[in-house]
Amino acid sequence: MPEYAIDATDVVLTYSDGTEAVRGVDLQVPRGEFFGFLGPNGAGKTTAIKILATLLKPTGGQVTVNGFDVQREARQVRASIGYMPQETSIDPEMTARENLRFACESYGVPRSDRDERIAELLDLVDLADVAEKRADGFSGGMRKRLDAATALVHRPPLVFLDEPTTGLDPKARNRLWEYFERINEAGTTIFLTTQYLEEADQLCDRIGVIKAGEIVAEGSPTELKRRVGGEILDVELSDDAADPEQAATVAREAELFEEEATIDVTEDGITVTSERARSHGTDLLVALRDAGLTVTGFNIRAPTLDDVFLAITGEHVPEDAADAVPSEAVEVSR
Amino acid sequence: MSTPPAEDGTDATMGPATDIETTSNTFLGDFWVNFKRWNLKAVRNPFVLVVSLVQPIIFLVLFTQVFGGVATQAINRGAASISYETYLMPAIAMQVALAAAATSGVGLVNDIEQGMFEKVLVSPMSRVGVFAGKSGAELLRIAFQIAIILVLGVALGGTVETGFVGALGVMAIGVLFAIWFMSLSNIIAVITRDQESTIIGANLLQFPLLFVSTAFLPLEALPGWIQTVATYNPVTYGVDAARAVILDQDVMTVIEVTQFGGIWNTLVPALVVLVALDVVFGTAAVVMLRRATSADVE
Repeated sequence: MPEYAIDATDVVLTYSDGTEAVRGVDLQVPRGEFFGFLGPNGAGKTTAIKILATLLKPTGGQVTVNGFDVQREARQVRASIGYMPQETSIDPEMTARENLRFACESYGVPRSDRDERIAELLDLVDLADVAEKRADGFSGGMRKRLDAATALVHRPPLVFLDEPTTGLDPKARNRLWEYFERINEAGTTIFLTTQYLEEADQLCDRIGVIKAGEIVAEGSPTELKRRVGGEILDVELSDDAADPEQAATVAREAELFEEEATIDVTEDGITVTSERARSHGTDLLVALRDAGLTVTGFNIRAPTLDDVFLAITGEHVPEDAADAVPSEAVEVSR
Repeated sequence: MSTPPAEDGTDATMGPATDIETTSNTFLGDFWVNFKRWNLKAVRNPFVLVVSLVQPIIFLVLFTQVFGGVATQAINRGAASISYETYLMPAIAMQVALAAAATSGVGLVNDIEQGMFEKVLVSPMSRVGVFAGKSGAELLRIAFQIAIILVLGVALGGTVETGFVGALGVMAIGVLFAIWFMSLSNIIAVITRDQESTIIGANLLQFPLLFVSTAFLPLEALPGWIQTVATYNPVTYGVDAARAVILDQDVMTVIEVTQFGGIWNTLVPALVVLVALDVVFGTAAVVMLRRATSADVE
């Protein structure tokens, strides 16, 4: 078995109209790793995953998946991976068991193993009770779980999960997370794209951030958060006299924070990212008060992946994913 | 989530397989897997099967009742005495083939919309095996529907002069005839990737093709311009081939062929035309599907 489940060097995909969807991506994912792939909408996440899953041909670079070349040995790559696309991909006219049987047959699972494998997977994703029911009557969560099970019938050493929990309620999402953790603990390499940063934070050993087709950051969630530098001080100003620009100017002129600190204007106040956020936070509040600005709230917190995402990509996570970002804030005063 | 953990604390059933060197898939196996799937879907969704049968049945019953008297005179200008039920059976058989073939692309669009298309593409199955399995299931359905039409036609008073073997021959001709239109339906599906457009596109062609052919009346009873169009209309060749088998006589009038003798003077040129159409449209469909399944997926 190769050292890396995914080994990609200088991968390029340029469409015929000249659009560069993937630009010189280098990526190594060791076997057994839970790797997260983050990026803003349109950054190239799905294009990259489709190249790795042999659905798109790169226009440049070298890619091996489980030791097989994605262009010359596409069939071997396909036999050695599981793939759960962004949109649920099950046949609604077939029952849960029939969907799994079709997947077993598609991947050439030996006939003698099929019944046992299907029973195990139905049990694992909690669909044993509805095994004989048609999937068109399933909820979104049940469909996703069945979809995930169909990607695993052949026990692939590498599974691609493209935004697997998008649109699910928190309970269904948690159940899938538990399920992904279990298969990863059992030795399966997982390549996950997600817009839920909480998901990446909780599940992934390592994260790569892609922006405009290029990987712009890579590391463990802790390393990436450390790169933001220090802690985050959020200051909320009164609605009546809100002038975040003035507050930012006061914060800069007060020279309370180190040169590397960043001061960003938000909708209702400012956010300071600094090593001295905790020690000089109250001094900033005094300076703002002296400048005639009314502070209605503030908190100091550790950086989240959202802050990492913002620092690296210049964008917040998409609106619809914001609900899933946990409040990691440690409110020290209000 | 009650699968017991293995002794080492991990979930043994969820661990990856150690042998990833080979895949046991074979072309025939992939064909069979997909053939079964599409047959199961047809059984699960009999609406499509019924809808593509209902209209031809209505045509068979109403045409024989409403136009039977007039049309019988038109088709019996010579010495022969053929009932309009017998004359119409091959036309309705080809209409069933057209109507059923028109829904082929809808299945493909459904699979694209439901993500199954992509899922199948990322499996190690042979892509030719996948599409051959789907097409095989649809052609079996068409043969079955033609059998129903023949039984109904005989029940209404029609006859198949060549008997049971002839009926099997008509089913085979229907299958051969359906392939080009099925390919066209899939081409429309790949281009539009939309169910409604695929249905409308295929149905728009269906009726003009039927009426400007020798399906309902002999060539000589049709207006001059329709006679010209009918000569280049694939439906004419499908219907004439089926009609030759049902009547056990040479019926082709759009091309004068005499060297084969008997019904072969109709069958040989008709089958050559149908095979050529199948090759042309089938190749175009394969090219389109190949493009849709390779670098231009997005």
